[in-house]
Amino acid sequence: MFISDEEKKMLNGEEGPGIQRSIQMLVTLAEAFDADRLSIAKRVHIHCAVPYDMLVELTEGAKQSKAYATTHAHFDPNALDPEGCKRIGIPEVYDNYEYIHAGMPPSKLEEIYRRLGYFLTYTCTPFFIGNIAAQGEVISYGGTSGSVIANSLYGAYGNRDSIPVNVATSVTGRFPHAGYAVKENRYAQVLIEPEGLDFNNFTNQDYGAYAYYAGGVAQNKVLAFNEFPESLTLEQFRFIASPLTALGSVGLCHVIGITPEAPSLEVAFGSRKPQITAKVGKAEVKQAMDLLNTADSDDVDLVTFGCPHCSIIEIRDIAMLLEGKKASSNVRLLIGVAKAIYDLAEQMGYVDIIKKAGGVFTSCCVGSQNPFNLLGPDLRVRTAAVDSVRAAHYMSRNSLDKIKICYGNTDQCVDAAITGKWRAK
Amino acid sequence: MKVKAHKVNPGKTEGEAMVHEGAFSFLGDFDLVTGDCLIRTPELDGKNMTGKVLVCTTGRGSSRGPVSAYRAGKNGKNPAAIICLEAEPVLVVSAIVGKVPMVDKPEKNPFEVIKTGDWVKVDADNGIIEITKK
Repeated sequence: MFISDEEKKMLNGEEGPGIQRSIQMLVTLAEAFDADRLSIAKRVHIHCAVPYDMLVELTEGAKQSKAYATTHAHFDPNALDPEGCKRIGIPEVYDNYEYIHAGMPPSKLEEIYRRLGYFLTYTCTPFFIGNIAAQGEVISYGGTSGSVIANSLYGAYGNRDSIPVNVATSVTGRFPHAGYAVKENRYAQVLIEPEGLDFNNFTNQDYGAYAYYAGGVAQNKVLAFNEFPESLTLEQFRFIASPLTALGSVGLCHVIGITPEAPSLEVAFGSRKPQITAKVGKAEVKQAMDLLNTADSDDVDLVTFGCPHCSIIEIRDIAMLLEGKKASSNVRLLIGVAKAIYDLAEQMGYVDIIKKAGGVFTSCCVGSQNPFNLLGPDLRVRTAAVDSVRAAHYMSRNSLDKIKICYGNTDQCVDAAITGKWRAK
Repeated sequence: MKVKAHKVNPGKTEGEAMVHEGAFSFLGDFDLVTGDCLIRTPELDGKNMTGKVLVCTTGRGSSRGPVSAYRAGKNGKNPAAIICLEAEPVLVVSAIVGKVPMVDKPEKNPFEVIKTGDWVKVDADNGIIEITKK
């Protein structure tokens, strides 16, 4: 494998022991996949489940991140809205990753983040707060849904990455020239085509279920969606991309006619035939919906939005639906959002409307690490209404099926928050 | 019997084989505190993996797998080595941070030549697996 002079210096420890360990890890990883060289990486998104001692080892002596670095969803659900969180039963000290950090509090990790110049964005949607990759830029993003969106919608060159690699990439500015960092590996392999579906009447709930099914078909292959309407928005795309890593481990998807590497079927597939072509119709969408809807009661105790974290448009929609209304006293209404988006929502008056209605904000993960996955049983939280496939999938699994799920559209979930009942059919 | 393989994570080690003809993750399939296997098949369920040579197809699951392997490695609970058909990035990084020597692409089908309980030497540096039948 080719090693540049600058990389040799890092390997020899001339830039400190942390960078030496980091580049050694990346070289081992690159060699494992027979990469010819390392790539220059420009952006990272640091997953906050990086253990404290690992973070110290990989960054010891490093001054500043060589890549533009932002941080993933907060460890502490209370950080954004401590009063609200207290009211709905989240303990004052609650660190999702405490066992991983060997008892180190978030503030000790933050000291290192600050030293390295990681921007404390605390969100799973880095693209909403300015960490937007250009096409072909090499990235290492923690959080699989943010990574698949950056890869697919923006055409960034990132892999299915793990937590140590995010850190190693940030301090070295390098990433193995392998996997999706190589153009040849980015062509679509699986084609998903609709059958008898009218996308003009498709809701976010339908898109999510459609993609959930598709992810299960594609598993770890590159997927292409055909015939999605040109009007597809970023919000809708998120409901399509974020489920892909739930049933499958899709790292990259193309949308024919919309995403940058897929102006046509021929270009997306590199003039090759699909390895798998799957038709998805009403039966398949229903099958996915049935997998997601596990509730055995219409009484809703928890309504969660923001998996991945809400955009300003979603916050606006939720505020408009809640204006002048109040959430049922039996319902906890939890909204996951980045602080930067929260600040904008506050300026727009949306935060006030939602808080008056009883809503609580958090910048922690509200899907796989939703605090109620663990707290739920003790607080009699049995049934949650969510508008996200990813939240439905992970809340069900990570609560060991103790939280049952009603999966629906945003307006149906807001209705459940107000009435305490799931009234969608 | 000696079988050639492709180096993934360097190191030399040996141990009793534990064969799982499926994908593996250090998060979900493995208890990082005890080293017990959490794969619910009759052959593997509840068996301890510490010091064993894991034979599997590839990696799967969460990008937090390496965090689990790192913590288990610090507590001395990891498998001794991993032999798999085709490496996958999350499993490779798990092996690196968990300090577990690893090879892939063995020249013979490992599920035919290695059975649970066989003694297996793994020389990842030179890409050699040596199997002594139980």
